[in-house]
Amino acid sequence: MKKFLLTLFLSVISMLLFAQAKKPVIMIVPSDVFCVSHGYTMNVNANGKDQVLPDYKKCMQSSDEMRMVITKMGVIMADRGFPLKDLEQTLKSIDTQSAELAMLTSKGGAAVAETPIDVLKRTAKADIIMDIDFNVKRQGPSNYITFNLRGLDAYTNKQVAAAAGTGKPSSAANVDLLLEEAVLSHMDAFNGQLQNFFNDMFTNGREVALVIRVWDNAGVDLEQEFDVNGTNDQLDFHIENWLTANTVNGRFSTIDATATMLRFEQVRIPMMFNLNGREVAMDTRRYISNLSRYLAGPPFNIQCKIYQRGLGEAWLIIGEK
Amino acid sequence: MKKSALTIIVLLLTLVILVGQTRKERKAMYDSQYNYELACLGVGNDGTKLLKVWGYGKKVDNAIYDAKRTSVAAVIFRGIPAGNGAAPTPSLLPVDGYEQHMDFFDEFFKDGGMYLSFVNLTTDGTPGGSDNIKMSHGYKVAVSASINFNELRKYLQDKGIIKRLDAGF
Repeated sequence: MKKFLLTLFLSVISMLLFAQAKKPVIMIVPSDVFCVSHGYTMNVNANGKDQVLPDYKKCMQSSDEMRMVITKMGVIMADRGFPLKDLEQTLKSIDTQSAELAMLTSKGGAAVAETPIDVLKRTAKADIIMDIDFNVKRQGPSNYITFNLRGLDAYTNKQVAAAAGTGKPSSAANVDLLLEEAVLSHMDAFNGQLQNFFNDMFTNGREVALVIRVWDNAGVDLEQEFDVNGTNDQLDFHIENWLTANTVNGRFSTIDATATMLRFEQVRIPMMFNLNGREVAMDTRRYISNLSRYLAGPPFNIQCKIYQRGLGEAWLIIGEK
Repeated sequence: MKKSALTIIVLLLTLVILVGQTRKERKAMYDSQYNYELACLGVGNDGTKLLKVWGYGKKVDNAIYDAKRTSVAAVIFRGIPAGNGAAPTPSLLPVDGYEQHMDFFDEFFKDGGMYLSFVNLTTDGTPGGSDNIKMSHGYKVAVSASINFNELRKYLQDKGIIKRLDAGF
């Protein structure tokens, strides 16, 4: 009897643990404006084009003020249940990976090309990036702070929360104190908007992008007609019908549609799905694998390759694995 | 002569009616639970909010207690407007939050209720000058209050009145 009760208790606990959506990872990143205006940049030659890009490592090693702001915001976010992914530690991890990438070359001798933000996003896997920028300005004998904080959804690159404003000038308070004041002043409004974003996510689903492509040897394209339950239509319309049935409230937008490519944006995927009687968190890769299974079945019988591109975008390339 | 006397009477009656309506409106405004009069005094210490709040009462002490209650209610249902270098703070609940949790808030805001744990007055003694206005049926008093915002938010979260930011994750 005791064993049965223990099993029952553990089952309930495990179900409760599984019935949680994936917690978004949040990371604070200095804005491009801050890095460029303070000289924390590096020059990169990409395809013969010189580009000035932010050097986050240099910024974190040189700017006491930025470190202080990030620490203060980290304390507030941890208190709200979101310990932040640390930029400095992430950069160290990137260094290790960079060493590995440096060894990686193609047969023709080409190296892997990525911008720093690509590397950062890839390594950190931050769902939400808090893009921070501030300036210490002077008005007569007084200092004041202009503060700009943007919450960017890495899935969609949309701005989901923001707080910006100018602090009260003070001749007595030092810059660190004014910066702390700016953080304290803006974080509640920022978190209020973040809460609205999460509420919307739980009500209307996670917003992602999906792309359907065709291998050149597929022998099938998106305009080929199939008969599904007596409805004869092109493959792209059958895919749209599947999305209508499997998105929250049938919400998605078809951005591009050709014989070889379909692009869907603002696809609202559910936060959870049922796996063997358990509610588990849904992600883009898992979601598109359901579409892959649908296309693998009759009458389509099409094999597909799943390719995850970033956190909020997945590709399905039809024709073969 | 008769005509001008009649005109004066009509004018006086109109004035009386107008004044009567204003009083009615004013009473409705004072009695309304949605009537929060407050201004932000600046950025408070970590986890606190600094406000100037007005309260009404037959005596100055009653008005101060009303201001204390108003300050906590405003933080929960109204939010704090921007001012003195501080950004606005959104409300902890929507404007109809009281109606949604009436039993809880009736208990929370009762005389000597739990709301007092989250408000500290920074005004010493009885407010004076423009912060202490004698009205026909009592006093309108302004006090500076420091609200323990983080503790209030955590308390309401623990009681299930508001959601945690990471709720559902």
